[in-house]
Amino acid sequence: MRQAIVKSSLKFFTVALFFWITPSFADGSRFEIRADGLACPYCAYGIEKKFMQIKGVKKLDIDLKKGIVIVIGEKDLTFKEEQLKTLFTDSGFTFRKFKKTKIKE
Amino acid sequence: MIFSPFKSLKFIGLSIGLLYTSTAIAHDPVFSPGPHVLFKDGIELHLVNKNSKSDNLSQNEQSLAFKYGVTGDWVVGLELPYQPVNNPFSSGKAVGDAILSTKYRFWRDDAPGVQKSAAVFMKLKLDTAGSKSGTDTTDSLVGFAYGYESLDWYRWASFRYRFNQGKTLETIGQLNRGDRWFTDLAMGYRFQINDYREPDTVWLLELNGEFSERNSINGIDISSTGGEQWFVSPGLMWTLRNVAIKAGVQVPIISDLNGNQEETDYRTFLEFEWHI
Repeated sequence: MRQAIVKSSLKFFTVALFFWITPSFADGSRFEIRADGLACPYCAYGIEKKFMQIKGVKKLDIDLKKGIVIVIGEKDLTFKEEQLKTLFTDSGFTFRKFKKTKIKE
Repeated sequence: MIFSPFKSLKFIGLSIGLLYTSTAIAHDPVFSPGPHVLFKDGIELHLVNKNSKSDNLSQNEQSLAFKYGVTGDWVVGLELPYQPVNNPFSSGKAVGDAILSTKYRFWRDDAPGVQKSAAVFMKLKLDTAGSKSGTDTTDSLVGFAYGYESLDWYRWASFRYRFNQGKTLETIGQLNRGDRWFTDLAMGYRFQINDYREPDTVWLLELNGEFSERNSINGIDISSTGGEQWFVSPGLMWTLRNVAIKAGVQVPIISDLNGNQEETDYRTFLEFEWHI
């Protein structure tokens, strides 16, 4: 009887652990966006603000030395060139190109 | 104590000197304007403290300003100063004339890590505070600014012209306040470029020139008004993501003021800026 309780508990914890771990292996997307004019972090804040308003965007970082904006989002997140061009123009910078890669978060 | 209208005029002149001489926004120099605007639909909040010290007069002024990015190249703003009342024998303060401002960046050239741009701007000081803490006039300022920014070096140049409206003084007559113009050169250097979410510091050095035409009453020039002043102004800009602190001190290197006027000893500027 006692052994059956331990086995059931183990099964329960294993299943719980599986569901707890699973979301952290969810698919996501990573965008590397090349932009020109990125010369100061304070001025680049507008880019962060604009991206974070887009549904599906989770995180953003800006590599000023490389002139790259890194956007992490949900796996089905997509951008069109025209959309990014407008977003960067509204933020005061020039969009050049972007690359999307799938990631395991 | 006899109230001297001319002493009062001098006081008004000094007070106006503190008013809207800076049209800085975001990553612009401390004492002079640059071509920076704000991202579309962005809001910028400014809290400013200015001090000016001359031989016998020390003045302190605070101001609160809001800026709004209409587009990625066009910003509009409203500024409310809190300044000394127009009475040389009083130390009281009151809300001064409201100032409307706008800036349009008409040229931008971006390269990797470099942005060159140029903008025109305009300010309109309204007559909202009356004679107690305002100038009783509606004055305007127009200007042009150029800026070069990179990950290490910065440089700016600007020109501003202020049209001062005349007014009628009951006891004296028609006062014509001389126009003023300003020219500025500034450079900045960032010793280290940090990550986006880390603090960033840019050290600044400016050269600011100010030129005032004489005031006149009933067409007769007032001898102790107008002249030329040049300042060297070290400063810094510290930012952390969407928060900025700007500080600087203006030290006169040339004071060629007409007649018997009090020369500026120094001016200080401290600003807190927040991008919302």
